[in-house]
Amino acid sequence: MNNDTTTPKPAAEWQLRSVYSTRLFALLAVGAVLLAISAHRSEVDKGLADSGRAIVAVVRGKPESSRVARGWLRFLSQAFPLVIASYEPIENPEEFNPDTLPAFAYRDTKYPIKDTMGDVVRYVDAVVKPIGYLTYVGGLLVQTIEIAIWGTILSVLISIPLAYFGAAGYTPNKFSYNVARAICNMNRAIPELIAALVFAVAYGQGAWAGILALGVHTSGFLGKFFADDIENAAKGPQEALASTGANKLKVLRYAVLPQVMPQFLAYGQYILERNVRSATVLGIVGAGGIGVELNERWKQFDYGHVSTILLAIFITVFILEQIAQRVRARLIGE
Amino acid sequence: MIRFKAARKRFADGTVAVDDLTLEIPAGQFCVFLGASGAGKSSVLKLVNGMVQPTSGRVEFDGIEVVPRTYREIRPRIAMVHQQFNLVLRSTILRNVLAGALPGTSTTAAMLSLFPAELQQKACRLLERVGLSEKHLYRRAAHLSGGQQQRVAIARAFILDPTLVLADEPVASLDPEISRGILQLLRDASRESGTTVMCSLHQPDLAREFADRIVGLARGKVIFDGLPDQLDEEMIGRIYAGARAARETAEDDGPVALGALTASEAV
Ligand SMILES: Nc1ncnc2c1ncn2[C@@H]1O[C@H](COP(=O)(O)OP(=O)(O)O)[C@@H](O)[C@H]1O
Ligand SMILES: [Mg+2]
Repeated sequence: MNNDTTTPKPAAEWQLRSVYSTRLFALLAVGAVLLAISAHRSEVDKGLADSGRAIVAVVRGKPESSRVARGWLRFLSQAFPLVIASYEPIENPEEFNPDTLPAFAYRDTKYPIKDTMGDVVRYVDAVVKPIGYLTYVGGLLVQTIEIAIWGTILSVLISIPLAYFGAAGYTPNKFSYNVARAICNMNRAIPELIAALVFAVAYGQGAWAGILALGVHTSGFLGKFFADDIENAAKGPQEALASTGANKLKVLRYAVLPQVMPQFLAYGQYILERNVRSATVLGIVGAGGIGVELNERWKQFDYGHVSTILLAIFITVFILEQIAQRVRARLIGE
Repeated sequence: MIRFKAARKRFADGTVAVDDLTLEIPAGQFCVFLGASGAGKSSVLKLVNGMVQPTSGRVEFDGIEVVPRTYREIRPRIAMVHQQFNLVLRSTILRNVLAGALPGTSTTAAMLSLFPAELQQKACRLLERVGLSEKHLYRRAAHLSGGQQQRVAIARAFILDPTLVLADEPVASLDPEISRGILQLLRDASRESGTTVMCSLHQPDLAREFADRIVGLARGKVIFDGLPDQLDEEMIGRIYAGARAARETAEDDGPVALGALTASEAV
């Protein structure tokens, strides 16, 4: 029972704490010093100074005087025009048959070949497809999206058991709880790029290694988010169903799932979006999709191609986000 | 028939919620447990379906001792109606009623939401019985008023033709006018089907109006057991005496850990 025997203090004597304590100031000072040291080690100071110099150089109208401004100019000058056409040199002009040309393609006997600086080095006799490169990139993007979708499907499949065993109240015992939570943490901790490298050793380079990498890495997020939401779902409805003798699986399905479904869909959508972005990067380690092409072009300084790819990725991610938003609104809407 | 034999519940923190309870409730009775907050009403009710386990003594339901081993047999025959209604607010009203039939549905069918047509028709009849109409069927429970939600909860409670309904303060969150309608419904529905009801209340006037029998609880002990007419003002005073002191230390409706509940009913 209550044993408050001392007489309570009058309100006028209650101790109020100041919002800014000396401890807070000390912590801020230490933090500032650490950041300053780290800034130097990580070349933040140099990066900021270089950027400042570049801005000053551009404002003065002498961008050549700054290394950074020169770099930007070099990229931008070669990034445009975007490369959207492709060509195939004609090996045997005698055998060329204009009737077999694909749609929109035409023959150019003096098609200019340029070097990375944009200067024409020679002319070839070639079949030119005006939007050949664009359609090629589009195809690779579709492949990338497919990798992302499969990665997301795999992620959801892995995360469902992780969520069940990682949710207090549903997991059979403390051990299964800890194992499930540990797997979630581990999957999250392994960067997908590293995972893709490892999977590529086992399965060879290609889409499957990318799918596995995405699925395993993001299942760590989904598993944790799902489990946390299951744990935080309102207890009343669960108690109501459990009290009639419904087993755990049924309680989960009827009292928890309806409550958490909107969040689950939001997480799924988020994971799909980030998987599309990640899948573009995964190609750099050979795991299929647009990234392979991006990496090749980047290494060859084909900035015209690179900017086409970047723009295509940007537009795709934007469109996907719009679609996903609409689908989600439909699914959870009233 | 429900039988308590010297049942006692002492929580881990030392609170004695039910003290030496010996009581018999015959089939078909509408038995009201009257008491102030913290008197032990919820604990008494939950002893019957094992959501609270007795520290000592014995609880029997239709001759079966209530112990973890028998939960699977007992629980589908006992329905609960809660103060907070405990509907799944994002689910439809039909779905909420059908969820009451989960123990009688195979897990596979339940996962796929395949409820037999007869069961769905029964849910409709029950919803009609509690005063809802076809237009409510596919509405989300969240869109209903408190009184309507409790009506759905009563329909859910009756879907498996329970032998016993445990109603834990079913009207504590409702207006007096709506409260009377809900208690009327609960009593009439149980009369029609011969269902036993153990209902906890803290309003003496409602208890007197609807009960077949009133059991007055104070600090876990039965201090009154009789017909509604026999409950006089002096007795009401005794039931609520010391309630103020109790209320200051006790929380209304102490939580029952879900973990303990689900762990004990696991296969
Ligand atoms: N899970 C619990 N743990 C500890 N004490 C509890 C628990 N549940 C209830 N109590 C205590 O048991 C006593 C009776 O509670 P309860 O049965 O909920 O009474 P009522 O329903 O009449 O308000 C109260 O003092 C309450 O604080
Ligand atoms: Mg209570």
